[in-house]
Amino acid sequence: MSSRKKRSISDIIDAYFEDLERWAEQFEETLMERPSWNLKNCTIEPLREIMVTPTEVVVTVDLPYTEKNTVEVKPVSRTSLEISAKMKRKIRLDDLGVTHCKGEFQKFHCHMRIPVPVNMDKMDIHYKRGILEVHIPRKR
Amino acid sequence: MSEQVRIIEKKKVPSGATLLFGFPDVGLVGVIAASHLIEELGLTEVAYMDSELLPPLIVLHEGLPHSSIRIFADHNILLAVSEMPIPTDVIYPIMNALIEWGKSKNAKMMISLSGIPIQDRQDVKELKAFAAASSPEALKLAQDKGIEVLTEGYMVGPQAVVLQRAADSGPPALTLLSQCFFNYPDPEAAAEVLKGLGKITGLKVDVAKLLEKGEEIRVRARDVMKRTQQEMSKMKKGQEYDTPMYVS
Repeated sequence: MSSRKKRSISDIIDAYFEDLERWAEQFEETLMERPSWNLKNCTIEPLREIMVTPTEVVVTVDLPYTEKNTVEVKPVSRTSLEISAKMKRKIRLDDLGVTHCKGEFQKFHCHMRIPVPVNMDKMDIHYKRGILEVHIPRKR
Repeated sequence: MSEQVRIIEKKKVPSGATLLFGFPDVGLVGVIAASHLIEELGLTEVAYMDSELLPPLIVLHEGLPHSSIRIFADHNILLAVSEMPIPTDVIYPIMNALIEWGKSKNAKMMISLSGIPIQDRQDVKELKAFAAASSPEALKLAQDKGIEVLTEGYMVGPQAVVLQRAADSGPPALTLLSQCFFNYPDPEAAAEVLKGLGKITGLKVDVAKLLEKGEEIRVRARDVMKRTQQEMSKMKKGQEYDTPMYVS
């Protein structure tokens, strides 16, 4: 017989807002084209991917030009991570071939939504040759 | 050649050359390798593709428009390269046009430069290159040069069309694939594939600069990789991870 856990009002509200936020992110990603850099924050977005296995979620992020000791992985909610890393040198927009505006970056920065419930406090972080790998066990 | 796809020659095109393809794909291996070849060998643009099948996109270099699919050459190499991923639904007509054009230039062989994705790529220091070919003779050529054969599996994308067409009606074709990241630009894999190309064609390509600039390339190539990821997802590129079920 399956037993259903009773959810509190705050859990339901949290879940509702998380769904709404997820939907908004998906909407933004599918419909709105935007640059992969942010001049205001002087950051560029790294390439990243998420793999969900039966036991864990594996997040990888491509962080070239960075060193391990500058990488930060912070859970910002039960379902999202904030990842940043400082680059070894500043990258100017014209280094990337963009000449119509000016700006420079010294940090990778992104938020990642984790699509299934996980134990954020048990995440395991590895960094090898500019690739960050975060293993987060799934909640059972 | 299809009327929907035109290849416009700007300069004299050598006859009897080897036709190479370097298109955005897994790890951007082909396009990174192609870009390095152009720089190292000083190849010049001899032709470009004009087609309404392609998105309305031009590449600006020094304020002037260029097609996203161009052909560079020296006296014994033709290199077709694209700076943007070829949309999945037009891969056949675009590749058919390039192959027919290559035949009209008496290309002696066609070689696609690409990658084969592996999991845990970041843990692999010594990458391996593999080859697949349109004929047993072409395959033997790669084997004789010490390149391992990709014996079973699936191939998805422009290089699949090249092998299939070449198997039907020549000229002989090879696909050189280095182990690589699926979704991240992989200059080390591009260097590996160029070493394989050197073994087969005798071309001497120094990959030291490519490896030296690896991190810079990874930063610069993020946006092209992102667009390529979208196209790879449409063409079900992930099928290359599948275990094969060859029906004999």
